[in-house]
Order: sequence, then structure tokens, then C-alpha cells
Amino acid sequence: MMEEMREAARALYHPLVRKWKEAGKTVIGYPCTFVPEEIIHAAGMLPYRMRGIGTTSLSIGDTYFGPVICSLPKCMLQLAGEHAYGFLDGVIITNGCDSMRRLNECWRKAGEDIPGILPGYFHYFGVPHKAASYSYEWYEEEIRELIKSLEEHFGVKVTEKALRKSIRLYNESRRLLQKLDDLRSGTEARMTGEDALTVILAGSAMPREEYTALLKTLLKDLKKALPIDKGRKRLMLVGSSNDDPEFVRLIEDSGALVVADSLCFGSRSYEDLTNEEGDPVASLSRRYLNQCRCPRMFGCYQDRLSLILDKAEKARVDGVILQNIRFCDLHGSENGIFERDLEARGIPCMRMEREYGPLVETGRIRMRIDAFLERIA
Amino acid sequence: MKRETREYHYDWNIWSIIENASRTGDGTRKEYDTLLKLIPHFRDSLDAVIRWGEPGTLLLKLLAQCLNAVLTAHEQGKKVALTTFCFAPPILHAFDVVPLVLEPMTVLGTFILQRGTGEYLDYCCEVGFTETSCSSQRGALGAYLAGLGVRPDFIICDSPGICDTNANSYAFASAYLDIPFYQLNYPPFLTGERASAYHRQDFRGLISFLEEQTGHTLDMDRLRQITAEIRRQSELITEINELQRIVPSPVPGIFNLFLYSGNFLMGGTPGFTDLLESMLKYIRGRAAQGLAGTRSGKERARGFFSYIDHYTTDLRFWTFLENRDISHLGCILSTFWQEDAPYSMEHPDAVYRVEDGDLDAMIDSLAMQVSRMPMIKSIRGPYDAPHMWLDDTLTMTRLLRADFVAYFGTIGCRNTWGMVKPYARDLERAGIPALILYADAFDDRVQSWDAVIDKMQEFLSLRKIGTGRPARRPWR
Ligand code: SF4
Ligand code: SF4
Repeated sequence: MMEEMREAARALYHPLVRKWKEAGKTVIGYPCTFVPEEIIHAAGMLPYRMRGIGTTSLSIGDTYFGPVICSLPKCMLQLAGEHAYGFLDGVIITNGCDSMRRLNECWRKAGEDIPGILPGYFHYFGVPHKAASYSYEWYEEEIRELIKSLEEHFGVKVTEKALRKSIRLYNESRRLLQKLDDLRSGTEARMTGEDALTVILAGSAMPREEYTALLKTLLKDLKKALPIDKGRKRLMLVGSSNDDPEFVRLIEDSGALVVADSLCFGSRSYEDLTNEEGDPVASLSRRYLNQCRCPRMFGCYQDRLSLILDKAEKARVDGVILQNIRFCDLHGSENGIFERDLEARGIPCMRMEREYGPLVETGRIRMRIDAFLERIA
Repeated sequence: MKRETREYHYDWNIWSIIENASRTGDGTRKEYDTLLKLIPHFRDSLDAVIRWGEPGTLLLKLLAQCLNAVLTAHEQGKKVALTTFCFAPPILHAFDVVPLVLEPMTVLGTFILQRGTGEYLDYCCEVGFTETSCSSQRGALGAYLAGLGVRPDFIICDSPGICDTNANSYAFASAYLDIPFYQLNYPPFLTGERASAYHRQDFRGLISFLEEQTGHTLDMDRLRQITAEIRRQSELITEINELQRIVPSPVPGIFNLFLYSGNFLMGGTPGFTDLLESMLKYIRGRAAQGLAGTRSGKERARGFFSYIDHYTTDLRFWTFLENRDISHLGCILSTFWQEDAPYSMEHPDAVYRVEDGDLDAMIDSLAMQVSRMPMIKSIRGPYDAPHMWLDDTLTMTRLLRADFVAYFGTIGCRNTWGMVKPYARDLERAGIPALILYADAFDDRVQSWDAVIDKMQEFLSLRKIGTGRPARRPWR
């Protein structure tokens, strides 16, 4: 079962997506956790969180994006330009951050030059940066427009019943992931951070029903597993998107265990649940906009600090790695204040800036992690 | 940060220099020329402003007043709001709150201080910023984070939804200094009832925030006075925009800097109206004589700067243009979208109108004005969407008959760097020579001014701009 998860986390077009496509079903890509997956699911489609894995060049990404842009959307564009995302029937772009929202223009313009890389359905989903009565309403309206455009483009119907069912299903899998977190960060950790990330990544790219079933089995197995944290420093990983289990392995190979995280390809995607009562669209709006876990929600630093402190305490971490992808100022700068405030509370921190993509900086990263582990020994 | 840098408060330092500079135009020409010899570090910057006569001197006097207001605010029982240039300050004036606007403060430090703002830029990184964050905030913010300036009482920023790195700087400052924060947040498009309703509600949230912070309610009479002032200012700006269309353009390039720095710092105040009137008097005089606004009075080329200007030491950017008889036709920072601006005519739904019927109408006018501020309007959505960057640039270049477009930005500007290549390509396809400069407008260390000049000269010469031969533009 872990092998199925690994397959789904390792490749873009993995066997489960292939099976889905062979059944004639639709796959919709999206780049950021602020896009409500439940809507896509309720339309009978596979919500697929796009990644930038496996790029070996940025020749296309660099043609459209400028030089000082986060390499995650650049890698996504590169893959799109190489037809690696040809299996996507549609894409929803959002204004998660500035680099990511410009994927909209850059992909469209690349589509003018490279035939066949722009999916027929290409939708922009505008997410406010604050939680206020009128921004909830805005987000609701965005959801309604998204539903309408999916229905019109694909000739499907998103019924209230289907939406409620999707909300319940996503809540269920998020609860299971929270349980997985308990097993990972409890007094006796039973799973590596590398495997935990693999499991989370798999969920962002496989049919939810199958994923939920796999999660249940995995949890049963894990409860019986032996603790693996003996003699290892317990770390928490915080900051920019990380969808690379090998990066976590690199940390763990130095003798640590990543027992908790606050990453958007990590626990941030399942910590909040959607209210199952009331108007489903309004509930989704509350769920997605209330999450202040990403620094794109400006002015909520104290909330994020509290969340990290709670988690660090619960997971009894020995230190925190605050990482950011180069040119990700949102996480990079906030990491600077986290460092000040966590260190002041006696939690050792290490800040690290890195590139997204193939791990070309292994030596430098390993050296820094070794030094950090020595510091907290 | 060097010890001697820590000796002076940044805002006091800038104020004292500007206060003194503002008096240099009061004496005789001979006194002024003698003075220039005695101030080798300030001479070029000072002269770049003062040589335009009354408008230059008036700008300095008004800047000194603004800075003094910041320095003395707390003594006078007033609150200081740390805010951004994208935010129109009239609502702050209506609450008698003193704006402390970071980006103009960075501009001032960049061209006035002998060593620029490098140490403050770096100080931000020492306390946590990424070195890739926008330099336009960091340049001055470093001083405030180091406690080398007036401590602001709260923060207002209106860049979320427009520019992450800008909003992030203010969010960082709020967390670091532990002071309240209000954000105006913008949808990805500008027009239509949905966007307008959002603007209005968000702006009312701001008013509640200001009431809470100041303990006062909005003063209707004061607001009415300010609204009348904005109306007058909008008319004057429109006249400048109109005159800029004449060939040769009678508007001195540096007047664009006067225009936007004035509006960012003192929009809605009588002082800004005086400045605009003084600038107009000068421009009308040039126009009557058929002279360009360059020093020689000649115009060899017309350039539109599609984003911001370049501010490093000594205001060399403007001098460079003037020495080559290139008219600076403005930049995104000098387009405000008042309803009767020449560029507004084709986009009636993209403009702001000044209404003063009742309180609601006045508040809505201010909300609309803020939502049309430079950058806030044109880079919130896809660059090629209606009313956005490309559309605006095409309108401006056509109306102003620009021979070329040049992009200066900051290395921190994710938003524009994310799209500037396709944008420049689209401009070229529309027949407009477009140059992207890989420099930082506030930080010479990214690319030296000499390298910038080389690039510009190479571009102008390769594209045969300003050579005397009329370029073939679609509108010629
Ligand atoms: S880090 Fe924030 S903005 Fe970026 S993809 Fe994740 S949720 Fe979206
Ligand atoms: S120049 Fe760019 S990065 Fe700086 S404030 Fe403006 S939009 Fe933001």
C-alpha cells in the first residue's frame, strides 16, 4: 500500500491517473491549497495538485517568467511546455502568491508558441487575502462561478447532494491524516517524515475514495509498527512548499526525524475541516478562507506563530527548520520573525533558503543540517 | 549597520537635509552657485530639483513640512500611520493622522544620502527579511525596524492582491514592531459591481479601523474640504497630462517625480494644489514658447517608463534623459485615472470620480480613488486583461506618442518580473520598441548606473531612437 502511495507521489502521470483517464474521466490541475478540491470532486473529476517534479531544464520556464521568480511555477510551466501535463483536461490558476498567479499569463503565452500545451479549460480563481464578511462572500461567488464554468465547459452538473458527499469524504480523509500526524509526532513516532510527506503527496493526486481506503489500512498497520524515533532528534519543517520526499530524507539521513510540519504540501492542507451543515458553498468559503496558515493571508502572524508553537510542543520537537524557496519572500521573511520568536522561547531554529527542483545542493544542505543537529545535540 | 549611521534618526536626517535644501532657492543666483561648490555630495541632487525654479523649491518646502509633521506628530497628539505609496492619503488627512509613506522615504534616502540606503536595506535582512524582498520598502523600513525614526502607531497597506512583497513588508513590520495592521485587499479585476462593492466595503472597514485607532469619528466638514481639494487636484493633473501630449512635450521629466511624490505624500492637501499650480505655470510657459521640457528646450525622443523610475544617487536618471533631449512622458506611478484624464476617456468605467453629495458619496469616491492608484489599478490582474498593464501602456504610448517604452523595476518585484517578458514582447508586436532593464531602482549594487546607461544607450542607438530620423510607429 505504501508502494501505491510512493508511485502516486513520485510521478506526475502515475498508474492511478492513467486508469482514471482510461476510464474516460476528467482531471483538473490546480497549484495551491486555496482552491476547493471538493468542487472538482463533486463534478465527478479528479482534483490534481500540480507540481514541478522531474524537470531537467528551465528553458521554457525562463522564456516567459523573469529571472527573479520562484522556481516552483517555473518548473510547472516547463513541464507544461514539455507536454508532461498533457493529461490535464483543465487547469485552475489562483493568486496564491505573485509568482504563482503569473503562471496564468506565462502558460497562456507559452501556449501561443507551443501548440497543444494549453488545456481547453483554463480558469482563474481569485482568492482574497483576508477573512472578512465581504471576502467570504467574494470567495463564495468565486466558487459559484467555478461551478458554472465547469458545468458549462464539461457538460456536467454539480448537485448539492454531490457537494455534500464530497465535503464529507474530504473531511474524512483529513481526519485520517490528522490521526496519521498523531502517530508521526506522538511520544513514540512510528513513521518517518519522508513517508508522511509521500502519503500526503499521494493524496493530492489520486482519487479520494481510493486514497481514503488506503489511509485506513495504513493507519491500522502503523498502530502496530515499532517506534522509530529512538536516538534521533525530533525536528519540525516549516515554510515554502516542499513536495520532495528526498529533501526530507536528506534531513533524516543525518540522524533526525521530521515529526511535524507546517507546509502547504503538508499538514496545512488537512488541519481544517469543512462544516458539514448549512449551505455547502458558504461552508467551503469559511473553511478555505479561515485558514490563516499561509503567509499569503497577511496580518495573521500571531495566529501562525501560535499554531507552530502548539505543534512544536505537542510533537516535542528539538528544533525547527525554517526553509524557503529562493524568491519566496512570503515564507522567507516570515521565517525571519519565526526564528526570533521561537528562539526567544528556547526552540532552536535553522533558516535555509533553497532552490525548488532536483536536489542539486545536497552537499550544502547536508552540511548545514549536520551543523544544526550538532548545535542541538 | 555602521555606528555613525546609528547616530541619526533617518527621518530627522532626511528632514534636516531637505529643510536646508528648501531654503537654497530663496537667495540670489550667485549665492546658490557658491553654495553648490560647498556641498559636493548633495550638489547634483539639489540642482536637479532647484534648477526648475519655483516648483522645485516649493516641492522641497512641502516635503520638509511633511517630514516635520511626522517628527512632531506625537508631540501634537497625532497618530502616525506607516503606509505605502499605493495608498491615497486623503482619508488619513481627514482623520488628522500623519502618513509615513515608506517608498517615498526610500526614494529620498536613495538620492539624498551619500551612501544611499544600502545599510537600511541590509538591516532588514539582518532582522529577518529575505534579501530578495522589494527594495522600495526596505530602504527606509530598515531604519524604523532599527528604532532610528518615529515609531509608527499602526500600519495601513493596500497591496494585498496587488503585490505580495509590498504587503509582506508591511505585515512583517506589523509583526516585528507589534503594532496594529489593516489591509485593503483587492480583487483581480477592476470594474463591475462585484469589484466596486468589494472596494467600498473594504474601505469602510478601514474607516472603522481608523476610528478605533484615533478615537475620533470621520469629520464631515473636513472630508468635504479634502474632497474639494482632490477635485481641484484631479483637474490640474489632467491639464498636465494633456500638455504632456504636445510635441515637443513642455513638461520637464522630473516633474513626473514631483507629481507622484506630491500625490503620494500630500494628496488632498492645499500644499499639493499649490505645487500643481506652480508646475502648471512653468509648463504653460514652455508650451507657449514651443519649447520641450528638457534643458535645451529640444526634444529628440519621447519615452514612456512603463513602471517606475530609477532613483539611485544624484537623480542621474533624469539628468541622463535631459542631456539627451529625451522627454520623460511619465510612468505608471504618474497615472491616477481621474475621470477626465486624456487616458481615461476610452475607459470610462476604469476611472475614479469625485462626488461630494453626501457622506457615503464622498467615502465611495475615496474608495474608488485608492483602487485606481498606480500599481493598484494596473497590475492586479493578468497583464493582458482589460484595464491592466498592457492595455494601459498601449493607451499611454499612443496618446503620448512615445518612441519607446522602458521598464525599470526592483529585483524584488515578483509581480512584474513574473510577466514583463511577455508584456515587452506584446509591446514589440504592437510596434513599440520596449526595453527591460535588469536593474534595481533603489539599489546600485544590483546593477551599476553605468551598466544601466550602457544598456539604454545601446537600445536607443540600435533602435535608432532620437537619431533625428522619425521612427515608424503605428500612430505616426
Ligand atoms: S504556500 Fe500558500 S500561496 Fe503558496 S501554494 Fe501553498 S497555500 Fe498557496
Ligand atoms: S515595485 Fe513591484 S515589488 Fe515593489 S511595491 Fe511595486 S509591485 Fe511591489
